Amino acid sequence: MIEDAIQPQPTEPSLEPTAAVPPPAPDPAEPTVQRELRCWILALAGWLIPGLGHALQKMWGRAFIIFAAVGTLVYTGASMRGNVFSSNGGDAFDTLGYIADMGTGCFYILARMLERTGADVSHSQGDYGTRFLATAGVLNILAALHAYEAARGRKA
Amino acid sequence: MTSFSPLSLNHFQAFLLFAAVISLAFGYLGRRRPNDRIRYILWSFFLFLVVGIGLAWVMYPFSR
Repeated sequence: MIEDAIQPQPTEPSLEPTAAVPPPAPDPAEPTVQRELRCWILALAGWLIPGLGHALQKMWGRAFIIFAAVGTLVYTGASMRGNVFSSNGGDAFDTLGYIADMGTGCFYILARMLERTGADVSHSQGDYGTRFLATAGVLNILAALHAYEAARGRKA
Repeated sequence: MTSFSPLSLNHFQAFLLFAAVISLAFGYLGRRRPNDRIRYILWSFFLFLVVGIGLAWVMYPFSR
């Protein structure tokens, strides 16, 4: 009875793994192909909806920050009438811009829907907005790659 | 759906917002412990400011 009383109570699971708790190691029983597929699905999810790749791994803090950061950059970029590149760009720079913008996943569609009046890069505001949008995409690609690495147990 | 009301930020405000958001994201992605994150975010933000303002001064003589 006394032993029951002094037994340590299970603590609440923390939102983020701390330094004392090692990152979740890949399950050795899980087949390699299946594990690899799961990692790629998490990365794809993280690309489509910023932060989802981390949220599915219960890294709530990172998921929220990525979603908020990418969302803020896209919102600001579109509000400043930055250029949201399309697939039918005329030159290599347009193609690069399109690839960067596509990195924002679903926010790309949102930016195109919201920026009804079109881009205005004749002023510095629009130029800054273009950079904000491209940065949002590249940041989200980086986060998706991080989610992939975390799923493989290499980063946490 | 209505369009955005255009956001009016000057160069410095846009620069500060950019630095803050990117530093925050880098801090959360790059570090795990809260103390390390805060230190990394502040350091990254500081470097953004120093490098940005430094480059602006370097380019200033060629702006006219």
